Amino acid sequence: MQRRYRTISELKINESALAIAVTDPALAGKLTAMGVLPGTRIELVRPAPFGNAYYIKVDGVRLALREEEAACILLEV
Amino acid sequence: MSDSPGKPLKVALLGNPNSGKSTVFNQLTGLRQKTGNFPGVTVDMKEGRLRFPSGFDATLIDLPGTYSLYPTSSDEKIVAAVLTNPKDHYYPDVLVYIADVTHLEKHMLLLTQLLDLGIPVLLALNMSDTAAEMGIKVNIERLAGQFHIPVVPISGRTGENIQKLLHELERVLKNGQPFGLGETAFYPLRDLEKQVVDDVRKKLGIENAYQALLLAHHHSWLPFLQKHERETLETIVRNKEFHSLRAQVDETLERYDRFTPIVRQTIQQAGNAPDTPTDRIDAVLTHRVGGPLIFFGVMLLVFMAIFFGYDTTGGWVENTTGALIDGLAASLNESWFSSLLTKGVLPGLQGVLVFVPQIALLFLLITILEEVGYMARAVFIFDKTMRRFGMNGRSIVALIGGGACAVPAIMGARTISNWKERLITVMVTPFISCSARIPVYLVLIPVALPTSSWWTKALIFGGMYFFGLSAALAAAYVFKKILRTSDPSFLALELPEYRMPHWKNVWLTVWEKVKAFIAGAGKIIFLISIALWILGNTGPDGALLEAENKVRAEAAPTTSKDELDDRVAAKKLEASYAGMLGKSIEPAIRPLGYDWKIGIALLSSFAAREVFNGTMYTIYSLESVGAQEEEEAADQSPFERYGRLRRQMTNDRFENGDRIYTFATGISLLIFYALAMQCMSTLAVVRRETGSWKWPVLQFLFMSGLAYLIAWLAYTLLPKI
Repeated sequence: MQRRYRTISELKINESALAIAVTDPALAGKLTAMGVLPGTRIELVRPAPFGNAYYIKVDGVRLALREEEAACILLEV
Repeated sequence: MSDSPGKPLKVALLGNPNSGKSTVFNQLTGLRQKTGNFPGVTVDMKEGRLRFPSGFDATLIDLPGTYSLYPTSSDEKIVAAVLTNPKDHYYPDVLVYIADVTHLEKHMLLLTQLLDLGIPVLLALNMSDTAAEMGIKVNIERLAGQFHIPVVPISGRTGENIQKLLHELERVLKNGQPFGLGETAFYPLRDLEKQVVDDVRKKLGIENAYQALLLAHHHSWLPFLQKHERETLETIVRNKEFHSLRAQVDETLERYDRFTPIVRQTIQQAGNAPDTPTDRIDAVLTHRVGGPLIFFGVMLLVFMAIFFGYDTTGGWVENTTGALIDGLAASLNESWFSSLLTKGVLPGLQGVLVFVPQIALLFLLITILEEVGYMARAVFIFDKTMRRFGMNGRSIVALIGGGACAVPAIMGARTISNWKERLITVMVTPFISCSARIPVYLVLIPVALPTSSWWTKALIFGGMYFFGLSAALAAAYVFKKILRTSDPSFLALELPEYRMPHWKNVWLTVWEKVKAFIAGAGKIIFLISIALWILGNTGPDGALLEAENKVRAEAAPTTSKDELDDRVAAKKLEASYAGMLGKSIEPAIRPLGYDWKIGIALLSSFAAREVFNGTMYTIYSLESVGAQEEEEAADQSPFERYGRLRRQMTNDRFENGDRIYTFATGISLLIFYALAMQCMSTLAVVRRETGSWKWPVLQFLFMSGLAYLIAWLAYTLLPKI
C-alpha cells in the first residue's frame, strides 16, 4: 500500500506542501507553538551544510529543524 | 492595582523570541536598567525603571522570550514559574505583551494563555512601521474589543508610539479596573482537564482555572511548590490519567482554531509578502560550502580585531594609567598607605582596565552578529557538529561568547533545553581563551620564544585559541560519553529576518556587560591585591628586617642605590608570608618548571587569572609600569610590551643556577593558563546555573588537573633552553 503522506526530507529544494499532522507529542508541543500546524504550507529552503537539519519556511517564517523534528511533520502527497 | 501602596508597581514585558521585545525594553528604560540581583531569587532578570510623564514610577521586568507557557528550556521555564505563582518576586501587576504584527497569528498563542491566567495584559503591536510598508492594515478597535484589552501599535526600532504606550500603561495602572476576559476563559477546558482543574482548585485552594491546569502540567519541576503540594498534584494527575504532552498539543491546536478567525477578521494583508534580501543573503551565508567558510572568515576577523585592537587600545590604557599611578606615587609621602595604594591596589585595578577596551570590542562584535541575525545561522550550520560533541547548535553562541568572558556566555546557555547539552556547554566554555588571558599570553609568549620573529609569536598567540577550543571539544566528548539524560533535545530555531543592528540595543548591551565585568572582576582584584600586598609586606617576627639587614651588610660598596633597593625588596618578599606560601607549594609546581615566585602568581591567579601580570610586577618589585619603558615600546609590536618585567623574569634563576624561564617553562606556563580554571566569577555562575556545588567543584578539579598534567608533559619533553 502506498503511504498517504511524505516528509520534509522527501521535498525538493524550494518545493512546498501542506502539513497534515504533527506526530510525536514530545516534539509536537514545541513545533505547534512555533506555528508548525496542520494546514500550514511548508517549504524546504535547503538542507544544512553538514546535513542532519533543514532550513524551512512556514507561512513566511523561517525555521531550522533537525531531521527528527522534521520527520514528525507529515505532509500531503 | 497593587495591594500595598508602599511597594512599587511591577510591569512585565513578555513576547515570543524575535518579537523585538528587548528593543522595546531599551526604548522604555534607556540607561535606567540593570540586572536584578535579589536574595532568594535564583535567576537574575533584567529590570528597569519606568518613569511616567506624570512623574510616577514603576519597575519594568524583562521576562525571557517564549512561544508558550509550556516551556522546553530553562529560560522559558522562568516565565511559566513566575506567571503561575502570584507570590513570585517578579509577578507583575500588568503585563505588556509584545507581538510582531507582521506575523500576528504566530504571536497570539501566548497572549491567549496570559488572558486565561487572568493577568491584566496590554497588547503592543510591534513593527507597525514595517507592517505599514508591507500594506498590512490592522483594525485596532476590533482587536481590542475581541479580547477586552488595550491595544497600541508601536515601533520599537523607530520609537514610534512608545509615549502612547506609556500613557496607556499609566492609565491602566492608575485606573485599577480589572480588564481582559474576566471569568470567561478563551480556551474552554475539556472534560478531563475540568476534572483535574476542579481537584487542583479544591485541594490547593487556587482560584484561577488555567493556573490550576498549568500547575498540574508542570508539577514535577515548578520550583515554588512545597513537597506536599507536589505530591498532591502528582496524585491528581495519576488518578485522572492526565497525559500532559497530549493535552498540551490539543490545547495549542484548539487555541489556534479559535484565534485564527479573529486575527483574519482584524488584519488586512496586502497580498504578497515584500521581497526581502534575507533569502538572497541566506543563499550565501547558509550555503553548503560558502556558509561554513564565511563563518570561519568572520571568526578570523573577530580574532584579528582582538589582537590588533589590544595592540592599540591596551597599550594606550596601560601608558595612561601607568603614568597616573607613577605621578601619584611621586606626589605621595612614603607610607604604608601610599605603598598599598600605588604598589598594591592601583596596579591590580590597572590590570583590569587594560583589557576593558578589549572586552568591550569583543562584546560589541558578538552583539552585532547577534543583532543582525547571524548567530541563528551559525547555530543552524553547526548543530550537527556540536551534537557530535554532546552539545547543541546553540552551544556555538556560548563558545564564541567565551572568547570575551565565560560568565555571560555560560548564562546564555539557558536557551539549551536538554540538560546534558547545556551542562556540557557550561562545563567546557571556560576552556575558550577569554580576554583575561590575552595580557598573560602577551607576557609569556616572548618569554618562551625570545628570539623568534613577530609572526611566529602571533602564530603561537592564535594557536592558544585553537588549543583552548580543542580542549573544550575534547572535554565535551568525554562528558558526552559519561553523562546520561532522558531530556528531549531540540534544535527548532527561528531564523530571524536579517536587519541592520539597532544601535541603541547594541550600545546598551555592550555597556551592561562591560559594567558587570568591571564590577565583578574589579571587586575580586581589589581584594586580591590588598591581600597580596599585606602578605608580601608582612612576615614572621623580625624576618623582614633581618633579610634587609643581611642584604645591606653583604652588598659590595659599589652597588648602586637602585640595585640595592631592588635586592632588598626581593629578599624581603622571600622572607614574607607570601614568600613562605610560594615556597610551601614550590615542591608541587617544581615538576612544571615553576619556582616559588610563579607559585605566588599561580595562587593569586586562582581567583582571577588577570592578576598574573600585576602579581609579577609586585613580585619583581617593579613600579607598575615605567613610563619611560612604555614610551620606548609604544611603537613596537604587542610582544615588546612588558619589556622590563620580561627582562627581570628571563634573568631570574633557580637556586642551582639554572635559568627559570626557559622555552620549556614558558610553554608549560602558557598551557597552564590556557587550561586551568582560574576564575572565581565563573565558578560562582556555574554554581548558580547548575544549582549545585558539585559541577563547579568538578570543573575546577578537572580543568586544573588537566592543566597540571599537560603542563608537566610539556615541561618534561621540551628543551630547557
